[in-house]
Amino acid sequence: MKIDFVGKRYYFIALSLVLIVVSLISIFTKGFNVGLEFIGGSEVIIKTSKDYTIADVRNKIAELGEEFKKARIIEVHALGQAEHRTFSIVVSPKDEKGTLRTYTPDEKAEISKKIEEILDAKVVSFNEVSGDAADEIKNLTWKAVVFTLLGILVYVALRFKFAFGVGAVVALVHDVVITLGFFSIFGFEMNIAAIAAVLTLVGYSVNDTIIVYDRIREFGRKFKGRDMASIVNDSINSVIIRTINTSLTTFFVILMLLLFSTGSIKSFAFGMTIGTIVGTYSSIFIASPIVIKWVKSI
Amino acid sequence: MRSDRVRLIVSLILLVAAIVAMLLPGGRQAKGLARLFSRIKLGLDLSGGVRLEYKVDIEKGVENPAAVVDDVWTVLRNRLDSAGYTEAVVKKSFRENNSFVIIEIPDATDTTKAEKLVGSTGLLWFGQAIDERDYDPTVNPDDVNLALREGAQWYADKNGKKWYLIKKEINNRKDLVLVGPRVVEAVPTIDQKGVANYVVSFTLDRQFVELFKNITKELYVPEQVLNAGTTQYQLALKKRLAIVLDDKVQFVGFVVSPIEDGRGQIRGNFTFDEAKELAAILRSGALPARLEKTSANLVSPTLGKDVLEQSLRAGIIGSILVMAYMLIFYGVMGIVAIIGIFYALAIIFGFLAGTGAILTLPGIAGIIFTIGTLVDGNIIIYERIKEEMRAGKTPKAAIEIAFSRSFWALFDANLTTIIAALFLYYFGTGTIKGFAITTIVGIFAAMFMNLVFSKFLLDAVSGAIRVRKAGGAQ
Repeated sequence: MKIDFVGKRYYFIALSLVLIVVSLISIFTKGFNVGLEFIGGSEVIIKTSKDYTIADVRNKIAELGEEFKKARIIEVHALGQAEHRTFSIVVSPKDEKGTLRTYTPDEKAEISKKIEEILDAKVVSFNEVSGDAADEIKNLTWKAVVFTLLGILVYVALRFKFAFGVGAVVALVHDVVITLGFFSIFGFEMNIAAIAAVLTLVGYSVNDTIIVYDRIREFGRKFKGRDMASIVNDSINSVIIRTINTSLTTFFVILMLLLFSTGSIKSFAFGMTIGTIVGTYSSIFIASPIVIKWVKSI
Repeated sequence: MRSDRVRLIVSLILLVAAIVAMLLPGGRQAKGLARLFSRIKLGLDLSGGVRLEYKVDIEKGVENPAAVVDDVWTVLRNRLDSAGYTEAVVKKSFRENNSFVIIEIPDATDTTKAEKLVGSTGLLWFGQAIDERDYDPTVNPDDVNLALREGAQWYADKNGKKWYLIKKEINNRKDLVLVGPRVVEAVPTIDQKGVANYVVSFTLDRQFVELFKNITKELYVPEQVLNAGTTQYQLALKKRLAIVLDDKVQFVGFVVSPIEDGRGQIRGNFTFDEAKELAAILRSGALPARLEKTSANLVSPTLGKDVLEQSLRAGIIGSILVMAYMLIFYGVMGIVAIIGIFYALAIIFGFLAGTGAILTLPGIAGIIFTIGTLVDGNIIIYERIKEEMRAGKTPKAAIEIAFSRSFWALFDANLTTIIAALFLYYFGTGTIKGFAITTIVGIFAAMFMNLVFSKFLLDAVSGAIRVRKAGGAQ
């Protein structure tokens, strides 16, 4: 039972290109629902037994002030929570100069009290991040992203010949762009947990790629003289069960987390769920076929 | 085999250490299985509570900024203790040339009280009120000019309803300025004149008593003047004592007798809680630097409990799926993997309980992710065993080869995840550090479980390992 992955590689590359283009279009036109920690502002999370829609909540809280008219309201879903609804309301209060500010303690008490009255709800969380803090968190997060990617690139460069290194990086960029694209398309919040998911998936997906590449090197030495396409195809076939099994077990737990969790962690679960699928797919169908052309010898 | 005995002993020692770490006294009250987790510290995002972070605004050119942050810490600690928040944690944090203080109050259900307590600079001063307005005079040119002429400034009262024109120099005497005195005692007391309201009685430190006496002498207005004719009364109105805290007027009134013992009262229809907080601020003194709120988080205990339950449910169902899959796909070796999952989880929770590392919601996500990747090592090894057995090796020989060849594959597989987790830990803020911690601990527990613990178990059951010759690839 051998599957011809390499022979069909142009279909897979075409599929990936479509996904990448759609992702990029969404990222640059629709953008992201950026998390509070990156944009700053205030988030009130309420729990209510009333059967409100987002529009209901919006209409009711408009009287609370200018910033509440422009609030970003998201309903937070999780399985097994049917008896009440949870909404996240994100606002950006401004001072007279138009810069982001935090609320005073009295204002917070007032807002909580009024929201509870107007919506017949319970305020279960009230979070604030100042503009400066958001800038700092953004800056630190960029550093984490850049250093992690650099670290993985150095690792890949040390471990592989140039062509394989390029292949691993192409697969990595592929995974990150498509995962980010899904965040944009489905409007999942882009928060620190989401970044953590993307970074973890980068490490995870590089692993799967490494496993296939190791097999290609091994078979390359074993079957010297055979053409590269058939070596790559045999390598993929010999590791596919292991790759699918390791991915499936991760997928099971991460999917459960996506279904049952709420809050910031849902973004992590979403990123990991998409990332596991895309990363496994790219290791099998993209990373290996694209190196055939460049690798003349092992 | 001898080496297997060593593996078993090392594995058991680690397991016992983990369980002891979990069962030591000092955890939360819990019954049954929950007792195993009672020593693991939960982050505020799971237990509920308030977390406040402030940037310490240290002026440039301060010689020893660390000392300023220490002083800020002490003042805040005193305030929180005085106000009854003894379980609050105050931490210092330094990032990129900036200093921060972080206040964490478990189980607190509103931030307002804590924010007022922390956010107040606590600078107390006494002045002379020479005029007052019922509207905001700072936008009225006449009133602004008046302030300029008098060399005084308009200050709002704490309700923002009344404004007073106040001079810091009493009767323009440069020697009569009382700013930031040390307060040795401040207590809420029942207002003798009011109805069920509270006032804050304070006593100044001895070194300020003389100055305070001179100020009150200077502002002294005999009681009969207050009942006398209008001219005298108008003059007296310009000689009222003002008590100002954080540039908000707390009290303005006539001094009907000079105060010789350094004692005074701040009146203002306080509730007991308000009076208690104000007393705490006065007692702990002024902050040596301005604090700027950078973030505030309130998680109600009910939300924390919901979130904890949801993630536990996800973790348990996910684990059952993983275990079922391993059992169906790998048979006897799957059972080894299942025992391995429990083993690695015991090590992870033992580590958390033993080190006091804080388990946050992202931390739980890290553990759940780890459960999915725990068996990756098993799968890599099992697939190799199957391969070797198909090539005609005995189970025992196949296990030996698989383990000796899999070490670097496992090392590689985990290294990239560790790179990501380490940078997340280093650059991450708040709860995300918890994810980095559990992920890194999980990877090491998984590697130990895969390479040491499972090896012993696999050798023990090697006779029962079967492999379908026709199945799989190759």
